[in-house]
Amino acid sequence: MSSRIRYKEVEKIFPGDPPVHALKKVSFTIEPGELFCLLGPSGCGKTTLLRCTAGLETLSSGSIFYNDQDVTSIPPFRRNIGMVFQSYALYPHLNVFENVAYGLRVRKVDQATVKRKVEEIMELVGLPDVLKRNPSPTALSGGQQQRVAVARALVYDPQILLLDEPLANLDAKLRRHMRAEIRRIQKVTNITTIFVTHDQEEAMAIGDRLAIMRDGIIEQIGSSDEIYHNPANAFVSNFIGKMNFFPGRIVSMDGDHYQIQLDSAGYDLRFTPKVASDAQGAKAGDRITVGFRPEHLQIAPSPTEGQVRGRVRIIQHLGQVVRYEVALEQGGTERAIEVDMRRLVPGVLEGDEIAVQFPQDVGFLFAEGGEE
Amino acid sequence: MAVRPNEPESRLRRFLSKDFTPYLVFSVPLIFMVIFLFWPLVTTFIRAFLPAGRHFTFGPFSLNNFERFATSNLYRMSLRNSFIVSFAVVFCTMLIGVPMGYFVARVKMPFKNLILSLGILPVILPSFVGAFSWILLLGRQGLVRQWINAFLGLFGLELPSIYGLFGVIFVMTVTYYPFVFLLAYGAFEAANPLLEEAAMIMGARRSRILRTVTLPLVLPSLGAGAILVFIRAMGNFGIPAILGGEEYVLPTLIYFRVNGFYDLNGAAAISLVSVAITGGALLLQKFVISKREYETIGASRSQFAQHTHPAIRIIATVFCLLVLLISLAPQITMVVMSFFTRWGRTGPEGFTWANYARIPEIAGKPILNSLYLSTTASLLCAVLGCLVAYITERRKPRGALILDLAIMAPFILPGTVVSVAVISAFGSGSIFALGGTYTIILISYMIRRTPYVFRSAVASLSQLDPTLEEASMIAGANWLYTFRRVSLPLILPGIISGTILTFATLLQELSTTILLYSARTRTLPILIWGAVADGKFGEASALSTLLITMVFIVVYVMNRFLGKSITSSFKVG
Repeated sequence: MSSRIRYKEVEKIFPGDPPVHALKKVSFTIEPGELFCLLGPSGCGKTTLLRCTAGLETLSSGSIFYNDQDVTSIPPFRRNIGMVFQSYALYPHLNVFENVAYGLRVRKVDQATVKRKVEEIMELVGLPDVLKRNPSPTALSGGQQQRVAVARALVYDPQILLLDEPLANLDAKLRRHMRAEIRRIQKVTNITTIFVTHDQEEAMAIGDRLAIMRDGIIEQIGSSDEIYHNPANAFVSNFIGKMNFFPGRIVSMDGDHYQIQLDSAGYDLRFTPKVASDAQGAKAGDRITVGFRPEHLQIAPSPTEGQVRGRVRIIQHLGQVVRYEVALEQGGTERAIEVDMRRLVPGVLEGDEIAVQFPQDVGFLFAEGGEE
Repeated sequence: MAVRPNEPESRLRRFLSKDFTPYLVFSVPLIFMVIFLFWPLVTTFIRAFLPAGRHFTFGPFSLNNFERFATSNLYRMSLRNSFIVSFAVVFCTMLIGVPMGYFVARVKMPFKNLILSLGILPVILPSFVGAFSWILLLGRQGLVRQWINAFLGLFGLELPSIYGLFGVIFVMTVTYYPFVFLLAYGAFEAANPLLEEAAMIMGARRSRILRTVTLPLVLPSLGAGAILVFIRAMGNFGIPAILGGEEYVLPTLIYFRVNGFYDLNGAAAISLVSVAITGGALLLQKFVISKREYETIGASRSQFAQHTHPAIRIIATVFCLLVLLISLAPQITMVVMSFFTRWGRTGPEGFTWANYARIPEIAGKPILNSLYLSTTASLLCAVLGCLVAYITERRKPRGALILDLAIMAPFILPGTVVSVAVISAFGSGSIFALGGTYTIILISYMIRRTPYVFRSAVASLSQLDPTLEEASMIAGANWLYTFRRVSLPLILPGIISGTILTFATLLQELSTTILLYSARTRTLPILIWGAVADGKFGEASALSTLLITMVFIVVYVMNRFLGKSITSSFKVG
């Protein structure tokens, strides 16, 4: 049985000097059976929101519902939820079997059922053999500990599964493997799951939907595809993938077509951008920010008059693409942008002056100053 | 469904759905502390400002008791002596402990493990027993005195009498140097070798590195060691009682006021002065040291390159073994003495078993008393210390700091001061008259020793990842289940070792018991003290050997059981 989770104006203020406003009137809903990712930079409130969902933190105001039940004041041990901690929190004084069986023991399940359920769940997480030796969890590898922690959280059929950066302590290769495993297990059990991470690639790979958080606010909720291709603002666009920003002013607009005067160029840009929700009301004369992903831009050797000039700082060959870090001169200060080319541009070396070319059919339009 | 969270009905539900077990459990230690800790301390404080005598009133208040520090020669002398002794002992223990710590940590030498495990013995063993053994060795007839004087005579010098300040300072130094030694050793051992290697790469010589890198880094540990020694030197009763002679210090003065004049209010005033001095020293240490606490930057660790120069190795080995020999000499002497009738000019005389044969007759009851009181008090300390540690460490209530301070306060209170406080609150004539009972001794033991269990419980708890407890709550366990199945099993080793060490120290407790015992509640240390006072050295030695053996067995069994070294269990302080 899986639950819908509904947040209603959830606020969390940590007392202190100064008090920390960790969650600001957060309201949204997670659907039953969904694998939902909370994504954001450290300190954005994503872990606090998860701990509030678990009941480990009390809300300052607002309510949280599991289905239609208000659980705001229900302590965690009466909520029937499972949670995997970043440190796994496996008990060193109990063996693997007893670690996994812990929640069943609490529920006073009979021995035969405990044995059957533990074996089933260890089969599901792919560790049936560990039970034969049944060591202390400290003797297991990081990946195995991770699976035991997932098994322990799932064995008593919780209505919700909470994962707090569960992959952060694994090396890169194992992490990619385990995130696929977690998605597989979640789809088998169909438990409503919240997955907290600061790794955008991980979030995009694993989540049915994701929420991007910043400073206690949810900036955008949607599928990976929606958020990548239709970011709500400049912050989201640069958090999900890289975005290069160019401040400017709208000269004129004609339907989807915009003419923009860029601060860094001697000519007007004419293109058809996707307009982010925060720039919907912009009119001619307003200041805005234009965004291009690195793969949208091109560089060309030896700039001619009227092109945007830059100097190549660093060339990195990343395999599929070649990344050029380019310094743009703009009003006396330098700004760095990134340009991804399919292959090395002949004749361009580090330190060379080049021209940056803008496309006409892609690009984004954001409100001014939202890129920080 | 719209729900307003502030409806009274839902607020009541919220209140009722809370888990109240922890509050019930936590109220027990708090009530205990109010009755048995706050109240005695408060009455002591009030008494200090009452007219001399034993009567407790709420006024008129005066400073008469304190004026005696200006008018009475005895008071002035005691205060001066306490200062001299405490500072001299701190200085001397530093002089011995710091080089010894450095040698054992950084010089390639033999017997390291032996030195580390035997080095702790002077602290574990009863200090007043050491004091009377030194009378045998360095007293007027003492064998060692004759050797030393023969040597000093070449320069026209003579060893001062063991009775008096020299004896007190000397015996305290060889008793308490292990605190400095072990803390210094730990600091020299734990410092990051890369810091010194970096200095070496930058061209600094060894002596410069020692002065500019090594010593500054270990300074906080040395400060901690110094304050531990200071507190003990300030509060020690047994050594000045046996060796002081005419020279009084504050603890013996307190004893004198209570036992000689039954002037409880006067004793309370002296106690207050004594505590104020210790508190001042603590503040001074914090002030000097706290500015110099360093975080170690970087995580990689490697071994120190040890000194291998033969000259240094010889000096280090000889120094350490000599210190060890001197500090253990009284215990060895005492064991030998227990088999003889007299200690003569050339050593023990008249082999006999009689000293031991008499033990069941004279010491049967006191041994049982000691075992009963120590066991009960340590178990109570364990429960109290553990619960308060849990409250301050996990719940972090608003008054956590006050709670922490309150339970740690007796740590700096000399034993005689604690007994004055307990008599003030529970002596004959008070509401709960407990004078002469086992209970009053148990209370004073608990007050004195709970800080030790509390500290080790806090240390264990702070290393216990809170997510382990959260994971249990998530899995559906309430507070009590979580505490029983997760928190307690994981902090138990720390609590057990703290409790057993408490037991070992309580077995040899003298300075509190001395003011609280009655004919019925005499303990083994009291008996030994009486035998020493009567000059029955053979009997005292046999009893002391028995006491030391008991302490030793307890500590040994614990270490076998918990698989730890003796030194590591004393690191908590």
